[in-house]
Amino acid sequence: MITVENLSIHYGNLAAVRDVSLDIPEGKITAVVGPSGCGKSSFLASLNRLTDLIPGAKVAGEIRLNGKSDIVNDPGLDLLELRRTVGMVFQKPNPFPLSIRKNFELPLLEHGISKREIPGRIESTLREVGLWDEISDRLDESAENLSGGQQQRLCIARALALRPKVILFDEPCSALDPLASGVVEDHIAALRGKVTVVIVTHNLAQARRIADEVALFWVRDGAGCVIETGPANTIFDRPKDPDAALYFSGARG
Amino acid sequence: MIGGAARLSRNDRLLGAAGGFAALVVLVGFGAIVFDLFQTGTASLSIPFLVGKVENGGRAGGIGPVLISTGMILLVCLAVALPLGTGCAIWLSEFASKIRFARAITAGIDLLASVPSIVFGLFGMVFFCRTLGLGFSITSGGLTLACMILPIVIRTTLIGLSGAPSNLRPGAAALGLSRVSTIRHLLLPVAIPGVVVGTTLGISRALAETAALIFTSGYATRWPEGFDDSGRAISVHIYDLAMNVPGGAANAAASALVLLLALLFINYLATLLADRWLLKRIAPTSE
Ligand SMILES: Nc1ncnc2c1ncn2[C@@H]1O[C@H](COP(=O)(O)OP(=O)(O)O)[C@@H](O)[C@H]1O
Ligand SMILES: [Mg+2]
Repeated sequence: MITVENLSIHYGNLAAVRDVSLDIPEGKITAVVGPSGCGKSSFLASLNRLTDLIPGAKVAGEIRLNGKSDIVNDPGLDLLELRRTVGMVFQKPNPFPLSIRKNFELPLLEHGISKREIPGRIESTLREVGLWDEISDRLDESAENLSGGQQQRLCIARALALRPKVILFDEPCSALDPLASGVVEDHIAALRGKVTVVIVTHNLAQARRIADEVALFWVRDGAGCVIETGPANTIFDRPKDPDAALYFSGARG
Repeated sequence: MIGGAARLSRNDRLLGAAGGFAALVVLVGFGAIVFDLFQTGTASLSIPFLVGKVENGGRAGGIGPVLISTGMILLVCLAVALPLGTGCAIWLSEFASKIRFARAITAGIDLLASVPSIVFGLFGMVFFCRTLGLGFSITSGGLTLACMILPIVIRTTLIGLSGAPSNLRPGAAALGLSRVSTIRHLLLPVAIPGVVVGTTLGISRALAETAALIFTSGYATRWPEGFDDSGRAISVHIYDLAMNVPGGAANAAASALVLLLALLFINYLATLLADRWLLKRIAPTSE
């Protein structure tokens, strides 16, 4: 369970996100939807403090993982451990320009996984994303030789290999062709119950297919905020907010 | 629209021709220099010339001590400039982004690159030879050269680092990689070709240097006895033979040929190393 309270994100003077409060249930798939520029990516990046990397970005509010200490303001927070626990998969597949094997070894060794354990982890996570049979004989080739869809599944497997509790996906399918996109989507859906998934998507059909919970972001008073949340099976049919109703009906956004 | 396209392509052709002509001029000029060097120098070029001691002010004998001194000066120079230069570039690009005057530092470094070498020579003489008490020595010369090529090494490493894919840093951070591992395993490999280019340029500039060395490592032609000994670098030797020693032209040309071949070889080696390195990155871990 991730509890977000009064979260605001500023880039210099620009408010990207203002006063967002949201509960993200454990083991479920939560889709974050909304028109572009409404702060979805910023919100996602604050959940593993990747906002730290952006010069001028300021985050205020509280984010708690399973009721533990607030990751926004805790000065003693172990950032590296936070990012092991809260993995992230980006819009554009981003394997390191190294061999497939090294793509796993680098993060695993960093987090103290012994060399003996690594081959097992590589195999089991590659199996989880359906890649093992496709690439098990090519582990020492460059990861950049894989197709876009394979690269994205590799990135999912690489995040999974660290045994995270949460994985954040930022439009993971939008850079892929429809076929590869479908395969990746299926593997994200299969994570249900194993890890907590937060997925940003502007594909409402995709949100309908895989999400348990949906949060709709919108721009109000020049800043991103959440205007509608609810279970995926009802939110699309009975939105309370008028903008949300127009957006879900395809007339707006 | 069609007319515009045609005009563009005529301009393209014109530009192509002008470029080709410029390339030809450069090639012919370079060819003439090399031809002249070969004509004047090949007769004296031999193994004894490469290993023999300098005799009669350079008119006779060889350039053995000069080569040794040059190598030692270069060694000091690289031993200092490489780690310092790459370290400085990494700091500027990865750690200093939040410091307001980081840009001013970078601008200062670029400015330093255009300072005439004689200024470095005078600085080296005052600072290394006198203030630090290193005297006319190979160490003083090497340190002066290090100051001179430092901006080149820093700039090319910075260019190398800026060539890293923009999603590399967030990608690494999202996997919980520390900054040190990210630099060591992901950014340095990207920067290595830049470092190699910078080093090659630096070595070329260092080997061609006379002004910075005359006042710092001196012009003694004896076999150097150590890094605290004075020693004559090859370009100083060429300069001296050509300008101050009547009858030294043939040996000056021969020395210049040696310098030219050494530079070509270093360039070739650098390309080879960079390629090797790129290949090794993909291959499996051997540790
Ligand atoms: N690195 C940044 N620096 C400055 N402004 C940014 C940065 N990233 C995003 N923004 C701004 O913050 C707002 C929200 O952006 P983002 O979180 O990317 O929205 P979304 O993912 O919903 O499209 C936008 O107005 C965008 O221009
Ligand atoms: Mg986005």
